[in-house]
Parts: sequence; C-alpha cells; structure tokens
Amino acid sequence: MKKIFALALAALPLFTALTACSSPAGGFDKGTAITVVSREEGSGTRDAVRDLFDVKDADGKENVTEEAITADGTGVMISNVAGNPYAIGYCSVASLNDTVKALTIDGVAATAGNVKNGSYTIQRPFYLATLGEAEGLAKDFIDFILSAEGQAAMVKRCVPIDENAPAYSGGRPSGNLVVGGSSSVTPVMQDLVEAYKAVNPNAAVTIQESDSSKGMNDAKSGAYDIGMASRALKDAEISDGLVPVHIALDGIAVIVHPENPLTALTNEQVRNIYNGEFTKWSGVQ
Amino acid sequence: MISGITVKNRSVREPVMRWVFTVSALTAVLAVGLICVFLFAGGFPAIGKIGVLKFLTGTVWKPTYDDFGILPMIVGSLYVTAGAILLGVPVGIFAAVFMAKVCPKPLYGFMKPALDLLAGIPSVVYGFFGIVVLVPFVRNTFGGDGSSMVTASLLLGIMILPTVIGITESALRAVPDELYEGAVALGASHERAVFGVVLPAAKSGVMAAVVLGVGRAIGETMAVKMVAGNQTVLRAPDEFLKGVRTLTANVVLEMGYAEGLHREALIATGVVLFVFILLINLLFSALKKERTE
Repeated sequence: MKKIFALALAALPLFTALTACSSPAGGFDKGTAITVVSREEGSGTRDAVRDLFDVKDADGKENVTEEAITADGTGVMISNVAGNPYAIGYCSVASLNDTVKALTIDGVAATAGNVKNGSYTIQRPFYLATLGEAEGLAKDFIDFILSAEGQAAMVKRCVPIDENAPAYSGGRPSGNLVVGGSSSVTPVMQDLVEAYKAVNPNAAVTIQESDSSKGMNDAKSGAYDIGMASRALKDAEISDGLVPVHIALDGIAVIVHPENPLTALTNEQVRNIYNGEFTKWSGVQ
Repeated sequence: MISGITVKNRSVREPVMRWVFTVSALTAVLAVGLICVFLFAGGFPAIGKIGVLKFLTGTVWKPTYDDFGILPMIVGSLYVTAGAILLGVPVGIFAAVFMAKVCPKPLYGFMKPALDLLAGIPSVVYGFFGIVVLVPFVRNTFGGDGSSMVTASLLLGIMILPTVIGITESALRAVPDELYEGAVALGASHERAVFGVVLPAAKSGVMAAVVLGVGRAIGETMAVKMVAGNQTVLRAPDEFLKGVRTLTANVVLEMGYAEGLHREALIATGVVLFVFILLINLLFSALKKERTE
C-alpha cells in the first residue's frame, strides 16, 4: 500500500514535466483542427468582423461557426490565441502585442499606418455626432479630441486621423456633458475624458455605453449631447440634423499564435474559417 | 450611585442593542428577499415574452436574431457539474478519511491550513491556473481545443475539494468512537473499520458534502468561463472534449453589452440558475434534517 503511494508520488512530477515539455516538441501540425475564437454576442468588434468579412448566410444573418470559442473582451481573446498554437482570433490593431501574430489580409499588413492610408481595408471609422453644429462645452470637447493632446490620448486604443493636429487652445468652459453610444468607442472615450479632465477640470463628462444606432438616436432626441458611432453616419441620420465628426479609425487584425507558420490570409479565407467551411489548417493554402 | 448609573444604562442599552441585533439579522434576510424580487421581476417578463417552452427547451442562442434558447446552457451546467462531482468527490472522500482517521498529527498541522488556503483562492486565480496549465494539458493529452467540458470539470473538481473534504471530515469525526472501537474489537483491521463502519455511519454527512459540492460547482462562474470554451451548442455526453457554455457563463459573458430583451433573457437565465440552487439547498436541508433526527 505504502509502496504504491510512494510510486504515485514519484510519478506525479515526472508526469507534469512530460506534459509541460510536450507542446513545443511537436511543431506545427497542419492536420490539426482550427480553433476559432470569437467575441461574445453584442460586441461591436464581433459585429464589425461579421460585416467586414461578410460572415453571413444567404439571409444576411451572421453565421459564425457554432464551434467557435467565445472570449469576452480583447484581453481574453488575446490570451486564448496566445495560449493555443492552432487558434485564430481577432482584435483591434491598437491592442496587438508580441504574444500573438497578426496576419496580412489580401497582402496588406495590419498596421496603424496601413489603416490610416486606407490600404488595410479591415477597418471602421469612429464618429461623433451632435444635433446641429456643436457649441459651448460640446464644441470645446470635440476641439480637444481633434487637437494634438486628444489624438495622442487615443493611440492606445485606435488609430488617430491627424498626428500633426495643433495643440488644444480652448477656453476651458465649465458645465456638464453627456456622451453616449457605441460600445467600441466607449473605451476610447474614457481615455479622452480622462485626458480632457487634466486640461479642463471645470467640465464634467458622463459616458453612457449602448450601441451606435442608439447613440445617434439619443443624440437626435437630445438625451446625449454627443453621440458615438463605430460606423459612418447614415444619410437619414444626417438629414435629421446630426453633424458627424470623424475622430479616429479602428483596424481589426486577424491574429494567430506566433508558432503558426501562416502569415497571410485573404478576406475570403477568413470568412471560410469563421463560417466553419475550413475546419483544418491544411485546408488553408 | 455607581450602581444606579449602570442600571439606568442597562435599561437603555439592552433594548437598543436588541434592535441592533434584530436589524442586523433582518439585513441578511432582506437581502435574500430583495434578490428574489429583483430576479423574478426582471426575469419573468422575458420568459413570458420568449415563451417558457421556447426559452427552456430552445437549442439556438442567437440574441442578435431573437433566438433565446438556453437548453444548451442548462445541459452544459449539468455536464460540467456532474464531471466535477465524478472527479472531485472520490478524491475528496478519500482525502477526508485520510485527514480524520489516518493522518499523523504533524502532517495534519500542515494539511489543514493547506486545504483552507485552497478554499480561499479566488476563482479568477483558479481560472488562470486553468488557462495556463489545464487547457494546454488537455489539448496535448486528449486532443481538441483544450477548452472543453473535461477541462472545466477538472478545474471544478479541484475547486469543490475543500467543501467536500471539510464537511466529510467533520461528519467522520462526529461518528462516535465506540463504533470504530467495536469494529476493531471484533477483529476488523483499521482500514476495514473505517471504510466498513465509520464511513457508512457518516453517510448523510457525506451526502451533504456532495450536495454542497454540487452547489459550489453549478454556481461557479469566473473560472469556468475561462476554460470551458463557451460554445452555445447542445452537446452529447460523449463530446466531452468539446466546449460548453454554462448558465453562469452565459450571464457574465454577455451582460456587458446586452440591451432590451437580450438583457432580460440573461436575467431570466439567472432565474433558472437560482431555481437550481434553491433545489440544491432544499435537498441539503432535507439531508441535514435526516442527520439530526
């Protein structure tokens, strides 16, 4: 009895050591199934991937494979892909780090520069909108966002549109401002509000997170002073009196594990991976 | 004079303190009541709008297109919990027998605090352990994604250990020594007396440990959602290397961006979970009653 116990104890570290070493030894096996990682329902990034790669069925409904792992949040997405050599996922270009590898799409690398010059097409614009021309505090805040300080505050999360913007020179008006809309723009807006507070402590800005369409509707009704959208404004919204302000671009990178030898995919291949047509890495040429 | 002051103080202090105690006790009850009211008020309208049958037996969960079927999540919760019980309970019971009847004192002084520590580790830390160690382990050993039913069961099996061991151990210690001594006197070996007499005598305590383990496993959220894959597919039991989504994971994954009926449907998911927990607690108190009688 005691012998068996001692044997089991001795085997345990050996076992652990074996499993710990077994992963890099094998190399990348193309016959392995692709682990598709997707964001959760309701995420703006998930909707953007659906639209940009056209991951839809004949009725226009999203048809991401049922076998896709769901990751809630960019951090979880990246750690999922970084931890699995056979995984594929996506995240904002601004969130990329060394633990994952971004693939080129249709031959164009997912970099901030390519997003800005428009050659990397897997991107969406970030817009703000006000009912009529912005004035007072709203105007000052938008001026700040488009200034050097505001554009610098966004670099962590998206691609600013103007790196050579002039410095902020507003009159620091006081008052309250309600900004609401797209959940994709919200984290950017939080950074902007933080930075704005530093230069204009007189203003109190409240952020309400919903989605792009609700943001536009509530900006129209006056519930929000400024609406946020992670898409261009629709013609109907502009004819209803909303004035759009383009503040930034967001590129979406398709990411794999650094060990994956693949470096490039086409838009169609990404679609076929996400709708479940390709299930193995060998199917991706 | 002095006694006069204390008497006067006491006549004020006692009723005041009685109120303080009553209010404190009521706070807990009130909290439970408020949670019930909020949950049912928030969840029932959604169930009504979706349809009870469609909600509970629907197999498609696509909130964007108004498909709200939570059967895959109900089944997912049951699989993962059953797996955790299958893996955790035998280990837990043997460990409890060891702690109560075999363990030498110096070792016990080390084991007990270690177990308490295991109970105190935050579930997100378990989740990280799962992602870093268990997921690659399952992927390399059994194949598949690594994020699967079996991974979640393994992790939950470890997480319920402190509950199972603690309650089983105290149940074993509550068995009168005469039973053990009688068995040994009749010629039984130490092992035989423990497994043949003491453990069966502590049966209802062991059952209670299992039920509480089930409660812990079914309610666990953070750690499970990090390793289970979270696919909303109705799985067969033999697909244990594929991912599932539990009820708890469904709520926490989507609450961030949910709106309107989607949000209400998530609260309704909470209602279903709450009913499960309620049943488990009823079972537990029934077992406890049996034990005290």
